[in-house]
Amino acid sequence: MKKTLISVALTGLVLGLAAQAANAAPDWSKVAKRDINVFHTGVAPIEWITKKSDHSGTVGMRKGETCIGCHEEKGTLNFDFKRLAGKDLEPKAPPKTMMYPVAVQAAYDKDNLYLRLSFKAPAGGADASDKDNEVKAAVMFADAKVPQGAQVGCWATCHADARTMPGADDKKTKYTKEGAYELMQWKSAKGAKAVDGSVSDTRKMEGGTAGVKAEGAKSGDAYTVTFTRKNPGEGKAVPFGIAIHADHATGRFHHVSLGYTLGIGAEGDVKAAKQ
Amino acid sequence: MAKDGLSALWGALKRPSTKYSLLTLLLGGFAAGVFFWGSFNTALEATNTMDFCISCHEMHDNVYQEYKKTIHYSNRTGVRATCPDCHVPKDWTHKMMRKVQASAEVWGKITGSISTPEKFEAKRLELAEHEWARMKATDSRECRNCHSFEGMDTDKQKLRGAKMHKIAQDEKKTCIDCHKGIAHKKPKGMKEDDDE
Repeated sequence: MKKTLISVALTGLVLGLAAQAANAAPDWSKVAKRDINVFHTGVAPIEWITKKSDHSGTVGMRKGETCIGCHEEKGTLNFDFKRLAGKDLEPKAPPKTMMYPVAVQAAYDKDNLYLRLSFKAPAGGADASDKDNEVKAAVMFADAKVPQGAQVGCWATCHADARTMPGADDKKTKYTKEGAYELMQWKSAKGAKAVDGSVSDTRKMEGGTAGVKAEGAKSGDAYTVTFTRKNPGEGKAVPFGIAIHADHATGRFHHVSLGYTLGIGAEGDVKAAKQ
Repeated sequence: MAKDGLSALWGALKRPSTKYSLLTLLLGGFAAGVFFWGSFNTALEATNTMDFCISCHEMHDNVYQEYKKTIHYSNRTGVRATCPDCHVPKDWTHKMMRKVQASAEVWGKITGSISTPEKFEAKRLELAEHEWARMKATDSRECRNCHSFEGMDTDKQKLRGAKMHKIAQDEKKTCIDCHKGIAHKKPKGMKEDDDE
C-alpha cells in the first residue's frame, strides 16, 4: 500500500516535471524589456477619440496614423496631462499618478505565448471600489475585424455609455461594434482565478479559448505578473493593449496603454523571443 | 426760413474768399484735417486695446478670465497676444470693416444679450461660430500675423503637433481648422466640420 502510494506520488512528480518542461517558462533575464507607459485617460472613449472637435488627431487617424505614432516619444507619452486630469475630462477626481511605466517582456514556443508585466502599482487612486483586489492586470488582443484595431489598441471597446462613465448604465460593459478581443486578466485577490475571456458585443469574463494562466508576485510595491496563453500563431503581429487597475480601482479608473503590436516571429512594437 | 438759412450758408461756402488768403485756407484746412484724422484714429485705437475690451463686464467676467489661463496671456518669453491681436485685423481697411461690424455688438450690449454668465453660455457656440467663420475666411490672417508654416520648425515640436502640421500643410489647412478653443473655453455642442 505504502509502495503504491510512493509510486503514484513519484509518477505524479515525473509527469508534472515533464509537463513543465514541455511548457517551460522562459528565462526572463534573457528576454528584452520594452517599457510601455500606462496612463489615466479620463473620460475619453472612442467617441471622443474619433470626434475632431474633441481630438484634432482624428484627422491623422483617418489617414491610418496609430495612437503611438503621435503620442509616444522620448520614452514617454506627450499628452496634456493637465487636460486629462481637468474637470472636463475627469469629472470625478484624477489619480495622484497619471502615468507610469510597465516593463513588458514576451516569449513564445510552439504551443504558448508568455507575457510578463513588471510595474510599480501607485497608490493615490481616485476610486477604490474593488475591495477584493488591490491590483488587477489585463491584456487584450484585437482580432483583424476590429475597426482600426491595429491603430487604437483597446479603444474600440471603450464607449461613453459603458459602466462607470458619467451617467452610464451600471450594467453595460465594454463592447466592440465589430470584431472581437481576447481578454486575459490577473487579479491580486488570494485564490482568484485567471480570467480567460473576450469582448465582442459584451464583455465575458470566462469562456475564452486562449487557455490563459496567470501568476503574480508582489515585492514591496513592485508587481510581476506572468501570463501564459495559447500561441496565436508564428509570423503574426498581434495588436494588444494593457490595463492596470491599481489601488483597488474598478471600471474606467484604470491606467491603460495605447495600442501596440506584439510580434510573434514577426516585427512588432514588442518582439516575442523564440524559446 | 430754415431753407433760406441753408441756401445762404451754401452760397457763402461756394463764394471765393475775399478775406483769407489761399495759403491761410490751405494751412487751416491742413491743420483741421490733421486734427480730425488724428482724433479719429486716436479714438479708434483707444477702442482697440485689451483694457477697452474688458471694460465691459461681459468680456471681463467670461472670455477674459478663460484667456488668462492660456499661453497667449502668459508664457516663457512674455510675448502676449491681446484681444485685438486676434480679433481685429491689423490693416486699416479690414480694421474699419471689422469696427463697423462691431457696432452690432454695441446693440448686444445695450439689449443685454450676454449680460449674465447663463446668457453668455447660451450664446457661446453662436458667437464662437461667427469668429471661426471670420478666421477661416481670411486663412487665419490674425494668427498668421505672428505664426507661419515657413517659420515653424516641426522638429522642435511635440510629435503630435509635428505630424498634424505636416498634414495641415499638405492639405492647405488653416490654423483655425484645428486650433479652436485655445484662448477661450470650447463651446458645447460644436458641429463637426462638413469638409471631413
